[in-house]
Amino acid sequence: MAGVLVTPVEPAQAPLLARPHYREGGTSPLVSSLAHVPEALEVTMPFIATVLGPSAIAARTKELVILRTSARLECSYCVQTHSSVALDSGLSVAEVRALRGEESLEEAFPAEDERMLLGWVDAVAGTVDPVPAGAGVELREHFSEPEVVELTLLCAATVMLNRYCTALELPASPATLQRLAAEGLL
Amino acid sequence: MSAVAEAIAEGRVGERLWLYPNYHCNLRCTYCLTESAPGVPRRLLEPETILERAHEARALGFTGVGITGGEPFLLDWLPELLAELAQILPVIVLSNATLFTGRRLAALEPLGGLPIHIQISLDSAEPDANDEMRGSGNFAEVVAAIPELLRRGIGVRVATTLEDPASHDPAELDRLCELHRSLGVGDEDHVVRPVIRRGRAAAGGMGVPAGADELDPELTITADGAFASPFGPTVRAGALDTDLLVTRTTSPLAVPAGALVRALGGRAAGHDARLGIR
Repeated sequence: MAGVLVTPVEPAQAPLLARPHYREGGTSPLVSSLAHVPEALEVTMPFIATVLGPSAIAARTKELVILRTSARLECSYCVQTHSSVALDSGLSVAEVRALRGEESLEEAFPAEDERMLLGWVDAVAGTVDPVPAGAGVELREHFSEPEVVELTLLCAATVMLNRYCTALELPASPATLQRLAAEGLL
Repeated sequence: MSAVAEAIAEGRVGERLWLYPNYHCNLRCTYCLTESAPGVPRRLLEPETILERAHEARALGFTGVGITGGEPFLLDWLPELLAELAQILPVIVLSNATLFTGRRLAALEPLGGLPIHIQISLDSAEPDANDEMRGSGNFAEVVAAIPELLRRGIGVRVATTLEDPASHDPAELDRLCELHRSLGVGDEDHVVRPVIRRGRAAAGGMGVPAGADELDPELTITADGAFASPFGPTVRAGALDTDLLVTRTTSPLAVPAGALVRALGGRAAGHDARLGIR
């Protein structure tokens, strides 16, 4: 179910353009809220799938960006949902904790490229101040131009989703919460 | 030819654009799709908005406009709007015909001879049977209104809504046909259709189920958005049904029209399971 501001659109009431996004047995709070405006859902979900989903960049790298961004924006829904996705993408429980700010980032991520990336995410999403000039220069030592573009778009799109999900108070699914409880991540 | 015009020309999308100018009504029919009644939220479309959509509809390839509600003739500006709409596309407007007296009837005078038909609900030749569904006194008002409209050169269609047309008593239907003929409405202007199990009819367990697979796609504009059928923007327990919602965007009309075509995908015209009611 969605949060208090918006009643989720139940499967029987799913608009025509929203129906392909409803799976048998239910759908995500994101879809069931966006279904109120089917033309927005119709373009938003493919956008999210393209930017957040499988691409030329490794899933682990993308989840670093998504989870770290969500933690900086304090989006409960996205932090919980992507803690679970991050585990599926090969991150350890300790790495997830570090991305969430619960443990040392430096200890959890000794590799230079990942530390650089996390520094870039903090510069883009961790403050309302302008991104400092030259902040991403070091990133280019480890990532190509297309990769920098994709990772920055990923960070920015996650910010959008963080604000949407937080504003509408979308709750993580029971299955996600159950998984996180089992991993000690609740 | 645009995808929308092509879909209309091929019959995959209905050639008429429907608009709901309002949801309120002076009656409270037992099978009403929109739970219309006095005092319900009006959800108005302004006349300027309706005219803009009609102009866009013609440009997109639609060949007619349908006006429904609620009871549209509760809106004082409706006759003037109909006259303007008729300059753009032929119009059919659905009405309970209970308001066609006095100044409201006089306001219809300029509509004579224009490409406008008023489709009036009449469910039985027996006053009591008709009024049981549509309210006390409805039968008398309808049979009085039809000749008045015809006398003014306004086209009239009669729509009969039955719980189950297939099992309805043929003799009773014959009596109804004799009645509409005697009022001046020919068989070609009489439609018989089932109660649709949506809105108040669904709450009462009446009628036949009707969703996207059973209804012919006809773009329908309301204050709440665009729907895939005039039977789509139904209301149950005060809540708007969204299963036939196409888009919340209604302007420009190309947005919902294009979305309806996309939503239909490769569906062929004349789906066997459809109820065939328009």
